[in-house]
Amino acid sequence: MEIKFILNGKQVSVDVSPSMRLLDVIRDKFHLTGTKEGCGEGECGACTVLVNNEPYNSCLTPVINIVNKEVITIEGFRETKAYRIIADAFAEMGGSQCGFCTPGMILATYAVLKKNPHPTEEEIRFALSGNLCRCTGYQSIVFAVLKASEKGIEL
Amino acid sequence: MIKQLVPANLKEALEMLSKHNCYIMSGGTDLMVQKHVSTGLLPSFDKDVIYVMNLKELDYVKKDDNGNIRIGAATRFTDIERSPLVPEIYKIVIKEIASNNIRNMATMAGNIANASPAGDSLVPLVLNDASVILSSVNGNREVLVRDFVLGVRKIDRKQNEMITEIVLKPQELNYFYRKVGARKAESITKVSLMGGYKIENGIIKDLRIAFGSVSIKVVRSLENENKYIGQKVKELNIDSVIEDYSPLVTPITDQRSNKEYRHKVAMNLLRKFLEEVKGGRNE
Repeated sequence: MEIKFILNGKQVSVDVSPSMRLLDVIRDKFHLTGTKEGCGEGECGACTVLVNNEPYNSCLTPVINIVNKEVITIEGFRETKAYRIIADAFAEMGGSQCGFCTPGMILATYAVLKKNPHPTEEEIRFALSGNLCRCTGYQSIVFAVLKASEKGIEL
Repeated sequence: MIKQLVPANLKEALEMLSKHNCYIMSGGTDLMVQKHVSTGLLPSFDKDVIYVMNLKELDYVKKDDNGNIRIGAATRFTDIERSPLVPEIYKIVIKEIASNNIRNMATMAGNIANASPAGDSLVPLVLNDASVILSSVNGNREVLVRDFVLGVRKIDRKQNEMITEIVLKPQELNYFYRKVGARKAESITKVSLMGGYKIENGIIKDLRIAFGSVSIKVVRSLENENKYIGQKVKELNIDSVIEDYSPLVTPITDQRSNKEYRHKVAMNLLRKFLEEVKGGRNE
């Protein structure tokens, strides 16, 4: 069936089964491969996208659930000023190593800073708890979020 | 041929359910895992699927004339947790369910219908006598959550019915809640215990105990509870309460934990709760 939604600011339409995973729609139909598949069962958050500015696991979202909603992937987000600030903070603090979790981490970081511009370390850990990283041990990611929050993401 | 059914409104959904034997898909956080095949392939269903997450009529939290809190079946955990109407004890439980991302997608109605022995929202729902409203083209019926869940992934839903609403009945209790898992977030519960109590002038007016993850469904015994209510709190014998519950707590060994550990921890949590009752915040 025809599914309409807003992808990275543009109205789009795609003819797929309502059961198709949002992740597969983004990667295979729109060829946006910044959204990664890690575990495929909602544990790791590598597939995180923003739906109406809230982080979702796109691997568990049947595409019908985002009809008429606004979806932002890392490709759309990288056009923003907030992306630049967060990405620089990750680079500066060593918040990214292999990079596989990074698109999800950056979107989850944006979601928490948008709700709470000056989170405590504990609030950051709570907000990023759905995003796993096997390289950094998280400490440098938390520092990166604190750094981005110091700079302010200019919403 | 498996049908994918997308109703425009609740009336249409109930009509579809009266004609088709369906999986009911809300947030997808359980079903999309259970029916997943492989990257790039569609999930594989062995019967029709009806998608209910977009039904606006089922997305609400409101208070009714009796003071009960009514939650629409398509309301996400995130929105339940944010609502000022929802009793604090439910929020404490919700904050420890899965992760931020999952709570943005998943519904409490889905957590109930999934009927996992480790379903965290079932514990406060059973302890606080919450119920679900099941709707069909023939009308509505209300069932207590403790009766609705029959066993592991078994529920009292007829083919033509769906959960449309959860009814929370706020209680005047002091609460105790501990969830034991392998880590802070995204942990599937090994053992959980919720206790509720009310003490007036040294007399136990109410005492409730519910265990999660230690049996095929939430363990609560009204028979036991009725023995304690009316007693003087000073005379409540912790060891005999533990003896009453020990045979009811029948956990299994699985990849997360073993049954001996779970039983021991469950009994230790019960002791901790009862010590708090006897210490008394409410005397």
